[in-house]
Amino acid sequence: MTPTTPAAPTSTASPLTRVLGILSAAGLVLVAWLGLVASPRDAVQKDAVRLMYVHVPAVTWMYVAVFVCAFASFMWLRKRSDGWDTLAAAAAEIALVLTALGLFTGSVWGRPTWGVYWVWDARLTSTAILFVLLLGYQALRRYPAEPESRSRMAAVLGLLLVPNAAIVHYSVDWWRSLHQDATVSKIDVSIEGNMLFTLAVSFVVMGIVCAWLLVHRFRTGWLERAAERHHLDAALAERRADADPSAGVAVGGAR
Amino acid sequence: MSAAVLAMTDAGYVAAGWVATIALLGGYAAAVIRRGRRLSRAVPPEERRWS
Repeated sequence: MTPTTPAAPTSTASPLTRVLGILSAAGLVLVAWLGLVASPRDAVQKDAVRLMYVHVPAVTWMYVAVFVCAFASFMWLRKRSDGWDTLAAAAAEIALVLTALGLFTGSVWGRPTWGVYWVWDARLTSTAILFVLLLGYQALRRYPAEPESRSRMAAVLGLLLVPNAAIVHYSVDWWRSLHQDATVSKIDVSIEGNMLFTLAVSFVVMGIVCAWLLVHRFRTGWLERAAERHHLDAALAERRADADPSAGVAVGGAR
Repeated sequence: MSAAVLAMTDAGYVAAGWVATIALLGGYAAAVIRRGRRLSRAVPPEERRWS
């Protein structure tokens, strides 16, 4: 009996992503129920506190995505392998989505609690700068240049995201800000038990969603490279065949 | 759940934040998966074996 090779997948899905996808969907339903129904309202902020369960995890995982991008950029500069470059690009795109989400949900949360959607204070301004840097990173990735130099420029920018992310995080300690100080990282016991539990679950679920997105986005980037390479090989073979028809036959015959 | 949201203080802000989160994450995931499917057709099978 001859062993059969399973057919190659026609998407970026695999058993791993299916498990992560199911966990993400179920987790989001659970977080929505916990955050909107089961958790209590805050004594001061009332129901506006329910925005914490989407805003805080989005911003926290934004930091993680930025650090993954920076680490992969550093590794690419050392190893020059396609895998690290693809990982850096994938993490930067996810960081951009999470930064946009953090800015929007923060703004919507700010209106009922501070009375304004936006104020040019240190935390908000540094986050907006990070968003612009991440947009610039995406533009750089699409810049029509030689792949090696494009990857090098993107890696340098990827490393420069770290100081900016640090400024975002510590801005509330370094400058007077309308934004509250870090509470979760200081294990603030003033957060009510059910709220803390809901926040912890939302952290875990957002992490699973980000991991699921990262795997899919990494594979999409990998396919983009393969398609580009495949397209280039085909174009070169066509050019050679045009220049020397006998060589084209020889190449075709060798295959 | 929608009744619980409507009964909240600042229901519009809470709903806007949650809907934006689900819509942005869902929309981005759909775009990435769709791009992956399109690219999968453009590369030979040996280039798209995921472990």
